[in-house]
Amino acid sequence: MRISRRTFAAAAAVAVVLPLSACGSGDDGGGSTDASGKVEGTITFQTWNLRANFKSYFEGVVSDFEKKYPDTQVKWVDQPAEGYADKISADAAGGTLPDVVNVSPDLVAPLAKAGLALDLDKAAAKYRKEYLPGAWASHRIPGMTGTYAFPWYLNTGPLFYNKSLFKDAGLDASKPPKTYDELFADALRLAKKSKGEVATLANVPTIEDFGRYGVELMNKEGTAFAFNDTKGVELLTKYKELYDAKALDPQVLTATPESSGKKFLTGAVAMNPGSALDLGNFKKQAPNLYKNIGITDQITSTGKVNMYVMGVMVNSRSQRKPAAVAFAHYVTDAQRQMSFAKKVAIFPSTAGSLDDPYFTKEDGTDETRVRIAAAASLKNAVNYTPVLFSEQMKTALRNEVAKALQGKESPKAALDNAVKACDRLLQQQG
Amino acid sequence: MASSTVSRVRRHLPTSPWLFAAPGLLVVGVFVLYPFVSTLVNAFTDRRTLIPGRFVGLANFRELLHDDMFWIGLRNSALYVLGVVPALVLLPLLLALLVQKNIPGIGFFRSAFYTPVVASIVVVGLIWVWLLDERGLVNSLLETIGVGRVGFLSDQWLLLLSAMAVTVWKGLGYYMIIYLAALANVPRELHEAAAVDGAGAVRRFLTVTVPAVRSTMVLVGALSSVAAFKVFSEVYLMAGPDGGPAGEDTTLVMLVQRTGTGLTGRVGYASAMSVVVFVVTVGLMLLVLRADRKEEA
Repeated sequence: MRISRRTFAAAAAVAVVLPLSACGSGDDGGGSTDASGKVEGTITFQTWNLRANFKSYFEGVVSDFEKKYPDTQVKWVDQPAEGYADKISADAAGGTLPDVVNVSPDLVAPLAKAGLALDLDKAAAKYRKEYLPGAWASHRIPGMTGTYAFPWYLNTGPLFYNKSLFKDAGLDASKPPKTYDELFADALRLAKKSKGEVATLANVPTIEDFGRYGVELMNKEGTAFAFNDTKGVELLTKYKELYDAKALDPQVLTATPESSGKKFLTGAVAMNPGSALDLGNFKKQAPNLYKNIGITDQITSTGKVNMYVMGVMVNSRSQRKPAAVAFAHYVTDAQRQMSFAKKVAIFPSTAGSLDDPYFTKEDGTDETRVRIAAAASLKNAVNYTPVLFSEQMKTALRNEVAKALQGKESPKAALDNAVKACDRLLQQQG
Repeated sequence: MASSTVSRVRRHLPTSPWLFAAPGLLVVGVFVLYPFVSTLVNAFTDRRTLIPGRFVGLANFRELLHDDMFWIGLRNSALYVLGVVPALVLLPLLLALLVQKNIPGIGFFRSAFYTPVVASIVVVGLIWVWLLDERGLVNSLLETIGVGRVGFLSDQWLLLLSAMAVTVWKGLGYYMIIYLAALANVPRELHEAAAVDGAGAVRRFLTVTVPAVRSTMVLVGALSSVAAFKVFSEVYLMAGPDGGPAGEDTTLVMLVQRTGTGLTGRVGYASAMSVVVFVVTVGLMLLVLRADRKEEA
């Protein structure tokens, strides 16, 4: 069998055309939203970097579920935090998305738009009343009807500050700043007293900062961004003052959450956001800092702190929808969320759970103090990150903020550009 | 009977090589050719990670012309070539000359210079970030001698230069080995004859060594220019995922990664950028080889 030129040409043509076949061949429909029927079969459940610390907890949940529904089998897989979105996108594009997936609202949005997330308002409406109304609404997507993930745990990190740096600057370490105006005043004083050696923050303002400052982030319809208003410009102008006064770390424009955390550990910056989990790190890695650690609420000028929401999504193309929905609900029900909250500093999204004495009674320890303060602030917390705010939009905002801080653009021009870029990306998302 | 055997042999013979090559061809086809062709095709679509694209003709390439970040990426990648390639062509040659002689303990130096090559780029990047940090070792030394702290990781241009320095530091050993092999083939008699004629070390280097290893220098130039244009890790690790302050240190490959990945990635647009990277790197190769051929002629 000789391979003729014609055969070779045909093979080459197929190779060229094959990728084209992927274009336009996608099925935008999300499949049926009917999840009724017998709970049976094997499903896959994917979590987000939870195996290392909570292996036994999840194995227990899986085993209890399988006992309750003997015809089911749950395969639990865990993915590392690094590149989690990329892993989901590869699975989603390759048609190998697990049946039940741990997601955040910004991850749900593109999956829902691609028809890959099951609408729980249709498939699991009977469970809605078990959750806090705000938490249930957190996985709704502007421009779409429906809810696309069960709310799971909530979190709101405290703000840590270095009391000794505050004292050195002549500030009252028992009265840390609560609002942005107080923060700006204290930060300028810290920079002046330390002659620019000690910065107050090692991060630039994020979309959550704009939200907590009281800036309207999007229009009411959710079709365009609006954080370039007067208040947004005011916030960025204040940050520019901080940057010029060295109240922000010199490497703030290239900072990541990890690098900011390290700066705080070494005493180069006075304040850093974090979670109750960080206390253990401070104790181990920086005992001197731990002795001087101060804990306060997130800075907010709206009276409402930022809340992070985790969810559990059901793949709309799952072959075992009844089992997948039942398991997603099982993992996120009040009993499981409460027991998970007792293992780690997270907060349940189920109705009434935050009234449990675990979240209201002091026992004198710092950990409990952080937990109770955070649980109390959650009652009127807001998830300031718009669900349609993609990674590319975050980068566009950070770049424009950097230009404003460097003085290459005015705060107004920088925010106008950021809004323009984000709107363009929003339109491209469809 | 005999003729039918011959025809059977003729019919079957050509198949055998293909059968032997089949596993290799399959791997190359699936993991090299298919992604390459797929990228080419995607470049003409508006495909996104989760949403299949439509054919948009040259729209992506037209958009590139008006995309400031693309031009920043192109500028930085080109600057990287200009900054890194001359250093990677010359310094390893000098290093190879230093460690060429077989004297006691030379193996230690050869190994030491080669160590960065085998070190993980992530580890290398992190070490250099610690060294060049505002409060790192280098800045502490500079402060001690009264120079003051330098923003190696916060200034747009210093950041790019720092990343280039790391690329050169990491690549020195690799190209040094290539040069060592080339130097071993330079006839000793040429050096001896030049020395008899009164040529000093510099003159012998310019008149004997350089012409003898010229083709190796061209090879090193071609390899390092393609690698420099496609730089990703060093800049990503030192400048952060945004590509430095305001993204001003972003290179083209970083931009491809940032644009085309994630749940909202613009695969079609990123593919168009990849096509540009491909065309420029092929162009660079051809340019270097053509220059070499001209000189030979």
